[in-house]
Amino acid sequence: MIVMRAPDKTMTCAEFQDALPELFESQADLSGHEHLKSCENCAALVRDLQYIASQARLLLPIHDPSPAVWENIQQAIRQGGSSGPAAQAPRK
Amino acid sequence: MERFVLMNAGPTQPRPANQHLRRNPPIAGEQEAITKAQNGDGRAFETLYAMHKRRVYSLCLRMLGNVAEAEDLTQEAFLQLYRKIATFRGDSAFSTWLHRLAVNVVLMHLRRKGLPQVSLEETLEPSQDDGPRKDIGARDLTLSGSIDRVTLERAIENLPPGYRLVFVLHDVEGYEHNEIAEMLDCSIGNSKSQLHKARMKLRDLLKTGQRKEQIA
Repeated sequence: MIVMRAPDKTMTCAEFQDALPELFESQADLSGHEHLKSCENCAALVRDLQYIASQARLLLPIHDPSPAVWENIQQAIRQGGSSGPAAQAPRK
Repeated sequence: MERFVLMNAGPTQPRPANQHLRRNPPIAGEQEAITKAQNGDGRAFETLYAMHKRRVYSLCLRMLGNVAEAEDLTQEAFLQLYRKIATFRGDSAFSTWLHRLAVNVVLMHLRRKGLPQVSLEETLEPSQDDGPRKDIGARDLTLSGSIDRVTLERAIENLPPGYRLVFVLHDVEGYEHNEIAEMLDCSIGNSKSQLHKARMKLRDLLKTGQRKEQIA
């Protein structure tokens, strides 16, 4: 029989933070975690990390390559560049 | 120590129902362009380039943090696409397939440049800077609601390469840990650990920036 202690009631900050990667991956709602009820520092940490992850998901592809990229691609294709394209058409 | 070793140079067929489909919505006219390009229609290939250049380039730029390299590898990715488009079977969304091809091009490039630059080992050793802060100190500045896109992009650029790869692949591009582990030839646990450390490092970078702004 496996005996488990109630982890959230006895967790130190170190233990909680060590468990964080798995807690995040479990998709569990951490807002009700017992440790966070009594530890503002860890609660702030969790909020920040969740915020960073949520903001990252909103990052859209916004950068365009220069026109030279397509010109080089065309040139490589014209030259029959079916092998070693990067070597055949180095960036100008 | 696990090392960063590329296993597959070509695009594999990702699982069809993975979450990065959220970033790969169907594009009007894409299927027709694919079919024509598979039959050697150069204009159709140009159409595909126009449809996907921004996304492929943005991926390369975020993974590499270098404009010149990102343009080189965007070029290489599309030339690989030109050579391989006939092998696209439609098992997954085209953009998902192309995206994986581009990721593999970047990883191959990084591997050619030398493992030390992209090794995950650099981030395996805990340090005071990067590891979780386990002290219970005074309340710290919180980030929520206070960072804009440009600030976040800049902070990602400043991540160490090993952190940046996992963070971009997981949090920005939506790959799952098992996919990242396969791509980077590391364990799923390692991928999770790297992601957590990357987020912690980003938090530090963003907070440092905020403190500087407050002082200024």
